[in-house]
Amino acid sequence: MSGIETVKVIVEAEKEAAKILADAHTRADEIRKRLDSLIEQQRKETIQAAQKEATALVANAQSEAVTEGQVFEKDVQSKMRETLDRASARKGLAVEKLVSILMESEL
Amino acid sequence: MSETSRFTEDILAAANQKAHAIIDETEIETRQALDQAKIQSAREANDIVNSARAEAEAVRRRKISEIRQRLKLEEQFEKSRIVTEVLDQSKERVIETLKDERRYLAYLAALVTSGIREIGLEAVVVHLNVHDLSRVNTIELEREISKLLGKSAKIEFSSEPVKALGGAIVSSKDGKTRIINTLDQKFEALEPRLLIEAGKTLFGE
Repeated sequence: MSGIETVKVIVEAEKEAAKILADAHTRADEIRKRLDSLIEQQRKETIQAAQKEATALVANAQSEAVTEGQVFEKDVQSKMRETLDRASARKGLAVEKLVSILMESEL
Repeated sequence: MSETSRFTEDILAAANQKAHAIIDETEIETRQALDQAKIQSAREANDIVNSARAEAEAVRRRKISEIRQRLKLEEQFEKSRIVTEVLDQSKERVIETLKDERRYLAYLAALVTSGIREIGLEAVVVHLNVHDLSRVNTIELEREISKLLGKSAKIEFSSEPVKALGGAIVSSKDGKTRIINTLDQKFEALEPRLLIEAGKTLFGE
């Protein structure tokens, strides 16, 4: 092999090596691009699932609050009725006391 | 194998090795980035769920608080209604009781006597309402007042009626000093005490 042929072979090999590296970089860029879209997709799915869970949590709480509220209201109303019934039963006694104050107290 | 062939093979082997390294490095980077992104997304998702949990708790609390507030107002309204009824009935009862002339005379004498003591004058003018001016025996009233005062009272009854449910206004002769001992004033003055007493009797344990 002559000197020129040897140089040609080496230059070809260098070209091929450069192509191998360029291909590797292209592949790496593709991997990175795929990664961006993968991350975006994965984030979207995770956030969507969380939002779904969040919506369900609030909706469930609203429904539970209505039920809890009804129980609470019933309980408070029952106590309130007791208080008011007891007060109604004591109205006569209260009138007697007030009349006695009005009739007897000094101005 | 010639030197040249070995040389070119080395060049290509080095290039291949470097290419593998580039890919491997990129894959490692991607895996790390993906893991990092997963952690970040999980954090965001966790924040969303935690915020929803807090909102859910707030929804429950708001509901209970709304009901508690509404029922409290209802209860206060009902209590106030009962107290007002009791107060009105008591006033009506007093007015009814005082229709008994003997009883009213004694009551009126006590009111006028209290007024005379308070004004601290020897001679006073007593003002009554139009109904009392016609029905009350002023001579008898004066006698009762003297009895209560323990001395003779110099009382002049005004012919000008006052607007009142009952009771009297005791004034100086010139009208500059007045002690208002009407039923209306008594009701008004005693109202805070009556409300407290009614509250204790009606709603106390």
